Amino acid sequence: MTLQEFYARIGGDYNATISRLPSEALIKKFVLKYPGDPSFNQLKDALEAQDWELAFRASHTLKGVAQNLGMDRLYKAAATLCDAVRGPKPLEDASLWPPVVAANEEVLEAIREL
Amino acid sequence: MSEKERILIADDSAMNRAILTEMLGDGYEILEAEDGRQAVSILQTDASVDLLLLDIMMPNMDGFDVLTMMNKYHWIDEIPVIMISAENASSFVERAYDLGATDYISRPFDMAVVRRRVINTLMLYAKQKRLVRLVAEQVYEKEKSSSTMINILSHIVEFRNAESGLHVLHIQTATDILLRTLVQKTDKYGLTAADIFLIRTASALHDIGKINIPESILNKPGKLTKEEFETMKTHTTIGADILDKLPFQQESELVKTAYSICRWHHERWDGRGYPDGLKGDEIPIAAQVVALADVYDALTSERCYKKAFDHDTAVQMILNGECGQFNPLLLECLTSAAQLPTELGQSAAAESHRNYLAEAQHISEALLQEQAGIRTADKLL
Repeated sequence: MTLQEFYARIGGDYNATISRLPSEALIKKFVLKYPGDPSFNQLKDALEAQDWELAFRASHTLKGVAQNLGMDRLYKAAATLCDAVRGPKPLEDASLWPPVVAANEEVLEAIREL
Repeated sequence: MSEKERILIADDSAMNRAILTEMLGDGYEILEAEDGRQAVSILQTDASVDLLLLDIMMPNMDGFDVLTMMNKYHWIDEIPVIMISAENASSFVERAYDLGATDYISRPFDMAVVRRRVINTLMLYAKQKRLVRLVAEQVYEKEKSSSTMINILSHIVEFRNAESGLHVLHIQTATDILLRTLVQKTDKYGLTAADIFLIRTASALHDIGKINIPESILNKPGKLTKEEFETMKTHTTIGADILDKLPFQQESELVKTAYSICRWHHERWDGRGYPDGLKGDEIPIAAQVVALADVYDALTSERCYKKAFDHDTAVQMILNGECGQFNPLLLECLTSAAQLPTELGQSAAAESHRNYLAEAQHISEALLQEQAGIRTADKLL
């Protein structure tokens, strides 16, 4: 899969990303690092433990990382959840979490084919 | 400049740090902190950070806490900060600017923007640093020649008093050490770095009144008679009079400080000194410190009527009240200033190539800071 196909598959904007970041090779290098980024799992654990402060911070980091890598669908899902626990406060709308899981899964699967 | 400029990236996400590092390229030396506390501890130990890229949401200490600390320690005056937060709400941006951030880069990071803003900020600060250095060099030249003049003047007086060639240098060094120790213990006297430098300089003039004391009394090896001692005591008021009758520069801080020191460096904390019998903090702090430095140097130096005591003995004698009573705070400073004997021993050598430049730098930075403070206050009004 090319990087262009990758971005199409995960709901990202290839053109916007390549205009911001140095080169295709570097984008790929960072995208391949994403599976090692701890913020998704931190967020998952924090939600299970109902640690809302950590949930806020982890979703905030996840949002920032996804945004920087141009993974827009993941970025938007994380940003919505992040705003919901901002304060920090408990997550009232549980339906905000599955889209984050789905977007993350989609990214990880696509990376495996990259 | 041969060395690379150093940029500290404080962001809790390793991915974001890696992206920024890659964007900045090889032209810089990159330091990384994964939370606010690490960032502060790097800034604390490493004075040579040229720029800080700072995230807001971080564990332990967040970006605002880091900015607050940087204000508290005045690092913000020298190290520019560019915010790199994913938080774009205007309240966050404003708060960061209010706390002294230079710039705000929103996400997603754009390489061209990151590079350009980093370069611009570094250039701006390099210009400021050059200006500070320029001012420092000017102050240095001025201070160097005026210090030399003062030292020559006080040496003229000392010259008649055959035994104490190094007395003036010792007084200056001891005054300096005591004052620096004092400001670490209390801010009661509101002494700035510039005040300390001024008192140190003026302390050289403490005995100018001796110019009018007959050499037969000044250099008498035995004990002075009551009349002779009364004459000797007048060196305080004579010195003050000389300064008081200066036909010029009456308003100069140096003259005012020197006046206090000349007149009151034989006053004692309990009011039993001379010439005015002032008590406690009625005695200006400059005179209190020089009085203690004077006594300490008299004890630790050889005189025609006595041998030199070592540091510990001298301190013990002073604490026992054998030379009169002193401000208890200053006595604390004296006991904790263990570096006194070595630094006095080196003061003659040190004086010849004393690091005026560092001091001038200090003073000019303090001046600039004061100016900046006034400007900020104006803006807030």
